Amino acid sequence: MAHPSQLGFQDAASPVMEELLHFHDHALMIVFLISTLVLYIIVAMVTTKLTNKYILDSQEIEIIWTVLPAVILILIALPSLRILYLMDEINDPHLTIKAMGHQWYWSYEYTDYEDLGFDSYMIPTQDLTPGQFRLLEADHRMVIPVESPIRVLVSAEDVLHSWAVPALGVKMDAVPGRLNQTAFIASRPGVFYGQCSEICGANHSFMPIVVEAVPLEHFENWSSLMLEDA
Amino acid sequence: MSLAKPVMRGLLGKRLRFHLPIAFALSFVAAIGFKYGVTEPRKQAYADFYKQYDAVKEFTAMKEAGVFESVRPSGE
Repeated sequence: MAHPSQLGFQDAASPVMEELLHFHDHALMIVFLISTLVLYIIVAMVTTKLTNKYILDSQEIEIIWTVLPAVILILIALPSLRILYLMDEINDPHLTIKAMGHQWYWSYEYTDYEDLGFDSYMIPTQDLTPGQFRLLEADHRMVIPVESPIRVLVSAEDVLHSWAVPALGVKMDAVPGRLNQTAFIASRPGVFYGQCSEICGANHSFMPIVVEAVPLEHFENWSSLMLEDA
Repeated sequence: MSLAKPVMRGLLGKRLRFHLPIAFALSFVAAIGFKYGVTEPRKQAYADFYKQYDAVKEFTAMKEAGVFESVRPSGE
C-alpha cells in the first residue's frame, strides 16, 4: 500500500510492475533532460536586454530541433512498445478469477474447479482493529497463489468501475455487459491493496480491493474452507 | 590618443554561443545524474532483493505477524 508523503510508485510485486517502474525512470530521465535545458534557456533569455531583430530563418537549427525531438521520441517509444507487447503475452494462467464491480463492493468468483463466490465490502472505519488501514481493508480478500499466473476477468453489474492494484501493475475497467481480461503474477507473498478507479457513485472511494498472495497449499486450504462455509 | 571601437554587433549571438553549450551540458549532467543516482540503484536494489529472497521465510514471518486472513498464526 501507499505510505504517507509517498512520491513514487509502490514497491513492485509483479514482473510487469517492475518493468513499468524502470520505464518510468527512463521517461523521467528524459523529462529532466528537456526541462533542465528549457529552464536554463528561459533564464538566459529573460536576464538580458540584448535582441536581434534581423533573424529571418536558419535551416541548420530547424533541422536540429526537428531531428533531436524525433530521436528522443523514438527512445521513449521503443521501451514503451516493448512493455505493451510484454503485457499482452499469452501467459497460460493457472487460475481464472472473475471480479465483478457493484455499487459499492466487489464480488469474486473462483469457478475453475468448484463454485466459490463471495462479496468483498470495505471495513467501515469504526470497525477497524488496530493496525488495519483506513478505507483500504475489505472483509473478504481475493486470495491467490503466489508466483502463479492469474487471469482476472473484470466486469460490472451496474455502472462503470475499475479494478486496480498498483503494486501488481494492474488496472482494468469494469464495464457492464463486457468482459475485460487482465493477468498478472505475484512475485512474492503479501497483501496488496487497490481502490476502485472509475467514478461510480457516492461510495466510489469506499470499495477497495485487497489481494492476498500465499503459497499454493495455503491457497488450497483457504478455498476448501471458503467452500465449506458457503 | 584614440580608444578601440567597442563591439556593437553580434552581442546576442555571442551570448547564445556562450550559454547554449552550457545549457546542453547541464541537461546531460542532470540526465546522467538521474540515471546513475536513481535509475541504476533502483534496478540494482530490485535485483539484490530477489537474489537473496526466501519466499517461505518471508511468508512464515508475515503469517506469524498476523498479516494474512486466509492463514492465521500458528498459535490461533
